[in-house]
Amino acid sequence: MDFTRPAPPSGRALRSYFLISALICAAICAVILITLLGQTGPVLSHNPASLFGTVWNPNLGQYGIIPMLYGSIVVMVIAMAIALPLGVLTAIYIAETRSARLRGIIKSALEVLAGIPSIVYGLIGVAYISVWVAKGLDLQTGRLILTAGLILAVMILPTILTLTEDAISNVPVIQRENARALGLYRHEVILDVVLPHARRDILAAGLLALGRALGETMAVMLVIGSLDRLPSPIFNVLSSGQTITSKLGRELGESAFGSAHFSALVLMGLILVLITLTLTGAAQWLINRRPNGVEAIYD
Amino acid sequence: MISRAAKEHIFAAATRAALGLSVCILAFLLGAIIVRGAQAISLDFLFMPSRDFGSRGGISYQIFGSLLIVLTAGLIAAPLALGASVYRSEYIKNTAAQRLFDLALYGLNGVPSIIFGLFGLILFVNIFGTGLSWFVGAVILAIMMLPTACMATISAMRGIDTPYRENAYALGLTREQTALRIIIPQSLHGLVTGLLIGLARAIGETAPIMFIATAFSGAGVPSSLAEPVATLPTHILALAQQAADPAALQNAWGASFTLIALVAMFSLAAFFARARLLPLSQR
Amino acid sequence: MRYIFRYGVHVAGVSFAAATILTACGGDGVKTAGDTVSISGSTTVLPAISRAADDYTMQTGAKIIVNAGGSGGGFKQLAEGQTDIGMMSRDITAEERARFARHSFTVTAIGRDAVAPAVSSEIYDAGVTQLSFEQVTDIYMGRVDNWSAFGGPDRAIFAVDKEAGRGTRQVFARIVFGDKNMQAPGADLVVGSNNEEQTALAQSDSAIGMISFAWANADVRPLSITTANGAVAPTLDNVNSGAFPITRDLLIVTREDVSGQAKAFIDFVLSPEGQTHVVDAGYLPVNK
Repeated sequence: MDFTRPAPPSGRALRSYFLISALICAAICAVILITLLGQTGPVLSHNPASLFGTVWNPNLGQYGIIPMLYGSIVVMVIAMAIALPLGVLTAIYIAETRSARLRGIIKSALEVLAGIPSIVYGLIGVAYISVWVAKGLDLQTGRLILTAGLILAVMILPTILTLTEDAISNVPVIQRENARALGLYRHEVILDVVLPHARRDILAAGLLALGRALGETMAVMLVIGSLDRLPSPIFNVLSSGQTITSKLGRELGESAFGSAHFSALVLMGLILVLITLTLTGAAQWLINRRPNGVEAIYD
Repeated sequence: MISRAAKEHIFAAATRAALGLSVCILAFLLGAIIVRGAQAISLDFLFMPSRDFGSRGGISYQIFGSLLIVLTAGLIAAPLALGASVYRSEYIKNTAAQRLFDLALYGLNGVPSIIFGLFGLILFVNIFGTGLSWFVGAVILAIMMLPTACMATISAMRGIDTPYRENAYALGLTREQTALRIIIPQSLHGLVTGLLIGLARAIGETAPIMFIATAFSGAGVPSSLAEPVATLPTHILALAQQAADPAALQNAWGASFTLIALVAMFSLAAFFARARLLPLSQR
Repeated sequence: MRYIFRYGVHVAGVSFAAATILTACGGDGVKTAGDTVSISGSTTVLPAISRAADDYTMQTGAKIIVNAGGSGGGFKQLAEGQTDIGMMSRDITAEERARFARHSFTVTAIGRDAVAPAVSSEIYDAGVTQLSFEQVTDIYMGRVDNWSAFGGPDRAIFAVDKEAGRGTRQVFARIVFGDKNMQAPGADLVVGSNNEEQTALAQSDSAIGMISFAWANADVRPLSITTANGAVAPTLDNVNSGAFPITRDLLIVTREDVSGQAKAFIDFVLSPEGQTHVVDAGYLPVNK
């Protein structure tokens, strides 16, 4: 082969290569949705009413997805309730500190943390956190809704911390200086000036983290206990549970393709994608939206 | 009513406590992985095949399988990401169309990983009838890498100054020639960096490949595209389910450590690629 | 720089070619190429088959890929042509046969196993060493929730259930509960594989579960079954004699288009040499 002088590809060939690549990239998301949608038929025609029930028993044709939906939401709420305040407070400290070195160290540590694969978080959950929870609360098992929430909180902490810290650092210095000049304490500057200014980006960070928390599979699946029932009483997070993702991870391999069972699982997956896509879309919209009014003048 | 000065102290203490807690969590995670992993790692462990469901022996085929799948995924994603990025940055001039394209990418980026597994299971394994296949796993991971690779490349292309394009057009180059001679060479660092970051993410993924591309034991070097392989993440999954067995747990930590080392390798490569490949014009 | 791009074009070419080959390999179901045998299914059968496969590979050089996934998953993948052999720890159900009526399946028993109700060692040591079917059913139906009801300590019973598709679960439910699809409202935790069941029982101090004999150990103690004629201990002798009631065959299933290589491996498993691996895994051989 003559590597020294490659014949230039024709313009038309190149152009169609660019176009086809672009079309593939742009269409995949839709293809995924359509593929999923195409498999939901059997359960919808078979027994749609049972979908809104609380009993999951494929052998009797009962496909109640409420326990899984509930589990996903509760786990997400626990994770956010822990990670959001912790992340925002830590981000405030990092952003307001004078030490560039501390900032650098924490930022690179966060990147490492964000790079840990979710299955490793699952292993840590199985080997440590679920054992600690069981011992600490004197329970029979550590495979609980609470444990899954704790693991997820740790997993989304880097996302929240990094994005919030960026948002806080991006607040113009002039805003802080003006507030300080008015005699405000540091906490008042942060709470009344900086955070309100950065609220949109912090909200976006929260939405992205929510999406991650909802879609996380491996770590949750290993520690949640796979119980397809609503906890009793309903807010008992110290019972085992199930999320949409852990259900899919556990049962997809066992359900026959094309059966009502399989299509009920696909339907749950579809609901999950639609929720996460909405969250991602909302976060992007918040980030892309141009600031207006007074803020625009200062930015 | 608490005085403002007291509030100041409370607030400062709260942020300090949050930082302390975050640092503790971080230190615990890294410490656990490093200490437990280092105990399990040895040359034998890295270069021997696993035995007895992974509780004995090493992880050589798992390392091989993981690398095979993600590197193939990288090779599939590279030309697609490159072509799509050129089209997005040099051909689409309509703002609405640009927004729509970006939205599709962000959307793809936001799809949960298990959904990719479900998608692959439906479309490839069942509808196309490929069965468990490492190559299908590579295709799915390539799709997952596309948004990262595209976004990095597009932003590198955005960084090319307009005079470069104007000069090229002034010399009589067509849009395709400009893309080929100017835009692509000047933005390759973005593609390489984006791909490496994508690889670092992809190699740790379990959910997308666990139903479509991997086998529990016995998988070695595949002799065709339609054969499963063993991978590190699915190996850790199998071992994590035997947490009562200390030998299995030990190997799980060893495999985790190895996996994170591979992730770090790709991330570092991305870091250096960004610095080294940046064209002179943009340094 | 243009060489790099040229390389990119090559890469594109290679990946498209690869995609074409892959599609060609696909077709209707028959997947494994050459002399690879792929097996998947029940985690109960897995230890025996996996041991035999390691030995067989060492002897013949044939490649055997063994995958977990439960009996249901094992049958499904075989029926859909994704594997050559399915491992099952229960019979093929009528529904499963009806779904894939276009294929005929051959079922071969490669060993025998027994499932016992098992408890955490703390409970066993406290004196609960035997239960009747009715008592176990009461626990799983949520009618009894304290060990003191069975002469144990005054402690809540932690009932561990298994996923519905698991062979162990179906055999246990069919014989003990009287209905293989019976749900267990009294369950507090659901696990998948035998490994997970073992882990859950070992970590708890007041749990009951269902476990295959081969997975019992010092922390997970199988119970004797109380019957009208006294207690039957969970021993392999009692399984052999037919006295222990919760037993099942370990099965491997093949489709009518089974490959020669897969057949050869099955013959190996059934040979006296292959049966030693079944025994090593803690099960009973078939030809006795």
